[in-house]
Amino acid sequence: MPAVEVHQFAQCITCHAWSPDRTMVALCPNNTEVHIYKFTVDKWERVHVLFKHDQIISGIDWSLSSNKIVTASHDRNSYVWNHEGSEWVPTLVILRLNRAALCVQWSPKENKFAVGSGAKTVCICYYEPENNWWVSKLIRKRHDSSVTSVAWHPNNILLATTSTDGKCRVFSTFIKGIDMKDSGTSSSRDLKFGEQIVQLDLSSSWSFGVKWSPSGNTLAYAGHNSTVYFVEDIHNSPLAQNVAYRNLPLRDILFVSERMVVGVGFDCNPMVFTKDATGLWSFAKFLEERKSAQSNSKYGSQFSEAFGKLYGQSKHGVNDGVDSLRPRGIAHENTITCIVPLRKEGEKIVRRFSSSGLDGKIVIWELDDNAEIPE
Amino acid sequence: MAASAAAAAAEVEENIEAMILRIEHKSKKIENLLKQSKPVEALKTALEGSPTNTKDQRCKSANWIVVHRAMMAIRDVDGMFSSLDPEYYDILMKYLYRGLATGDRPTCDQCLRIHEKLTEKAGLGCILRSLADTVNSV
Repeated sequence: MPAVEVHQFAQCITCHAWSPDRTMVALCPNNTEVHIYKFTVDKWERVHVLFKHDQIISGIDWSLSSNKIVTASHDRNSYVWNHEGSEWVPTLVILRLNRAALCVQWSPKENKFAVGSGAKTVCICYYEPENNWWVSKLIRKRHDSSVTSVAWHPNNILLATTSTDGKCRVFSTFIKGIDMKDSGTSSSRDLKFGEQIVQLDLSSSWSFGVKWSPSGNTLAYAGHNSTVYFVEDIHNSPLAQNVAYRNLPLRDILFVSERMVVGVGFDCNPMVFTKDATGLWSFAKFLEERKSAQSNSKYGSQFSEAFGKLYGQSKHGVNDGVDSLRPRGIAHENTITCIVPLRKEGEKIVRRFSSSGLDGKIVIWELDDNAEIPE
Repeated sequence: MAASAAAAAAEVEENIEAMILRIEHKSKKIENLLKQSKPVEALKTALEGSPTNTKDQRCKSANWIVVHRAMMAIRDVDGMFSSLDPEYYDILMKYLYRGLATGDRPTCDQCLRIHEKLTEKAGLGCILRSLADTVNSV
């Protein structure tokens, strides 16, 4: 059974992130605060509450080596929180946005972070020690609509973004003085800050949840049209694959290994996609076996009543009252919006990861040791 | 500048005329197939090459008429799915919604009949794809 722990933290969680040693989790319970919980002995204790934002916090990321938390909120601001003594001290980052910040991610070297916003821009922020503040550089061009998610390539320079204009783009975020020019890689023309390297126009609907594979050779993102897009060999000769699946759309995905992706979304049950030996991606299975409480309906009990009305028949099963709206037998009870890896030191494959959603739960999943995880 | 814009517009017109001719040609083929009692083949022919990547409403209406003709001729819906390839599911779903939008009783009845089976076969993802895709519409 892949779901090892289920924890109810709030009525609804917008996003979460884990501390470097994985004993603490920072989450936003759908309000203007960040709650940090620590697992002590046998229960979760709320150890900190970070108050600063005026509106809902849409993104949290916790850096692994420098132990800094960055938060982004609908109030158009971002704060970097430093742990000093027993307190978390915020530093305002002036993003220069006139719309909400929607997502945030630390770069692999943790010297930069990227914020996607509803202002059709991406802010790349870096630290200037002389003035002791974080400076934001904007990528203003290219996006036609809100930037829903951002993902850093392992080389700390390339950034992939997805947007509600349906496209996925890769930009260079090279900043003089912060990044070192790699002598082996692409021409210096490509390295200019804000330069668009690739634009993928594969989806005709909103796109979410872009991620790079561990090596950085494959890019994947989810479309709102119940399709996942995989782009192989993106640096040399990009080859795209559209994997359309039967179920409701995904909101976020995670690369467990080079050949396995887990996606989470409106079906409340994580979906596993794998790449076979010929390089073809396909839907493998749901992570959790649904206990068949739906002998009478084929689409999940949440829809049987609606379909009954549509087809004008009573054969779609009895209305179970309140429970007819919930899929039964699986960990999450509502849409999963966020999936985060719980990586162990030196491990190439992500065996453990957590998901949070609109039901206010954080579920920790662990893939069995003997389950074949294609590398 | 204006000359090249006019030339581009003329080229697009020509493609639309070519498309409409193609649809007329399809229509004849479909009538033949229906006479031979091959409604599923007729539907496949109608769905193939649907004008989703143009904004021209005449083309879309012309193709809809042809798809509608084939769709209404189907009597055995379960049988249809045993010979319809999955590649046609998404485009069929889009036409089902166009049919449902007409409000015409016999059309809607048939569309609902097919919709039920198609959703069983293709899942909710198929419905999502027809709703979320506002660019390639029928």
